[in-house]
Amino acid sequence: MKDTKESFVTEDGRHIGSVIMEMRNITLRFGGVVAITNASFDIREGEIRAIIGPNGAGKSSMLNVINGFYHPQEGEIWFRGKKRPSLRPYEIAEQGIARTFQNIALFKGMTTVENVMTGRQLMLKKNFLWQLLRIGPALDEEVVHRRRCEEIIDFLEIQAIRNSPVGSLPYGLQKRVELARALAMEPKLLLLDEPMAGMNVEEKEDMSRFILDVNDQYGTTIALIEHDMSVVMDLADRVVVLDYGKMLADGTPDEVQKNQAVIDAYLGVEH
Amino acid sequence: MFYREAGQFKTSYAEYLQALPLREDKVGIAIWLLLAVFYVPFFGLPGLEYTFAMNAIMIPVLIFTITALGLNILVGYTGQISLGTGAFMGVGAYACYKLTTYFPDVNIILIILASGFVSAAVGALFGLPSLRIKGFYLVVATLAAQFFLEWCFIRVEWLYNYNPSGAIEVPQREVFGIVVTGAAASPATRYLVVLGILIFLTIIAGNLVRGRIGRSWMMIRDMDIAAELIGVRPLRAKLSAFAVSSYYCGVSGALMVFLWLGAAEVESFDVNHSFLYLFMVIFGGLGSITGSYMGAAFIWTFPILLKELGKRVFDIDSIIMENVSLVAIGMLIVFILIKEPHGLARLWQLGKQKLRIWPFAH
Ligand SMILES: Nc1ncnc2c1ncn2[C@@H]1O[C@H](COP(=O)(O)OP(=O)(O)O)[C@@H](O)[C@H]1O
Ligand SMILES: [Mg+2]
Repeated sequence: MKDTKESFVTEDGRHIGSVIMEMRNITLRFGGVVAITNASFDIREGEIRAIIGPNGAGKSSMLNVINGFYHPQEGEIWFRGKKRPSLRPYEIAEQGIARTFQNIALFKGMTTVENVMTGRQLMLKKNFLWQLLRIGPALDEEVVHRRRCEEIIDFLEIQAIRNSPVGSLPYGLQKRVELARALAMEPKLLLLDEPMAGMNVEEKEDMSRFILDVNDQYGTTIALIEHDMSVVMDLADRVVVLDYGKMLADGTPDEVQKNQAVIDAYLGVEH
Repeated sequence: MFYREAGQFKTSYAEYLQALPLREDKVGIAIWLLLAVFYVPFFGLPGLEYTFAMNAIMIPVLIFTITALGLNILVGYTGQISLGTGAFMGVGAYACYKLTTYFPDVNIILIILASGFVSAAVGALFGLPSLRIKGFYLVVATLAAQFFLEWCFIRVEWLYNYNPSGAIEVPQREVFGIVVTGAAASPATRYLVVLGILIFLTIIAGNLVRGRIGRSWMMIRDMDIAAELIGVRPLRAKLSAFAVSSYYCGVSGALMVFLWLGAAEVESFDVNHSFLYLFMVIFGGLGSITGSYMGAAFIWTFPILLKELGKRVFDIDSIIMENVSLVAIGMLIVFILIKEPHGLARLWQLGKQKLRIWPFAH
């Protein structure tokens, strides 16, 4: 593994850029529970970064730290070469970080396309007065972004459910709508919390393909949490392994797979 | 059977984003509008005495529809709850009274529309707790607002110009030479002014809820954590909902006193009324503009029509019928909460859906 901040090309010819996000010595506590202990890792531009580890290892908490939902007691977060101050989640959204949740967090009262359209909130700029008139520039803006949402819906092959209320959709499709909503934000960094949990093999293959396509076509940097090791090995450029909040290993899938501590703690046993 | 999407192809997203994409819906609304503008002001309602139809039914129903629209923005679209509606209407009414006292020559319709802003500011202020508290606790906070404002309506004598009766009495005001407020204003004039303002406010509400602002409200309602993650500022979304909602309530409160009651004191703005408006919204349909219309019309006219029915057909005392209607409304609310939480608007929509696929069952 390279320590430099320079970009490089992997063995399979993928371009990995410089570091955009760096977690330095993060420690997160909830009262007596230590969810993350002194964890440090970075995320590079354009890569697919996996975070793995058993249940309760602190993976989701780590995404919540990146998102600004949790504020670590110790450690620093560096984003694009600057130390990030403590920010609210909506401010972090403004920096181009999007996210899906382990337990789907869609807007249940809306249809698929409306949910996807919410991803464009920050890009809609017309003020209150225009909004209440809904003519001219305000309507044009709505139309432009609506069209973009329809493209994303096509891309994720969910045209058939575009006008369905999301609450009634099967689980796998809800996950896909949530991905569509995150993509509608056109994020620089996309965080996916167990995007394939609870899916059958076919759905997992579809989702893997979408993740690769997003990374490939839009150049989106992706950090994902995933349990299925074969999926991780296929998708990820680099892997961080957490166990009980501690970092066990950090490296390419091959390196991590060969790491004895990882084998003992995680890979060796059935999950 | 003629209610179809077939053959009505959308050639652009702009068409798709219209308020009423279906031609049949447009025609339906046009018919309602024509009746409201050209029939009702002259003939009232069929089978009812004219002044009764106007003063007891049409004018209050239209005013309460504005209230319901406002409350629905807060409860139905943003998922916040308020038992302060009555008081926020009071703020609008007292603001209107003070404004027209200070500016007697300014067009009263403009004064009414301006008094909504006072109510909006007060509503936003009392909406501040919603940033920290939810559900039951927010209900209690808005209830506190209700009682505090009621106290102001009694104790702050400046609000009613130190009138010993404690009431605000509506002065006569003319717009372009036509008497709009006061005892000399004709029912038709008052009705048309209210109708005009209602149509204007309906269009605005429809625009808001379909755009960025309305989506931010619904995002907060459905999943506030995800909303924040997408960039919605909870403070801005919730306070804008409280402000817009209270604006509608304020305007309807001013209309209620100036174009309907003619005089009012604190009883017209009490918590019982707050409950009544909440019933309208729940019954008509949370998060639905059509539902606001249906709820206001139903909750207001049902007891009146029941009373009329009892008097005319069964010769029953009106006091008894009043109690009967209270019980009936209570039962209907419980029924609708269990059977169809989306209210009359959903039943209407389902009916249309059936029509669309008629004659097939599914
Ligand atoms: N909001 C919270 N309050 C208290 N404890 C929490 C909270 N969030 C996470 N934890 C605890 O932190 C640990 C890590 O949880 P989590 O990050 O969800 O793990 P993972 O996603 O790896 O399964 C667990 O012990 C969990 O109980
Ligand atoms: Mg988790």
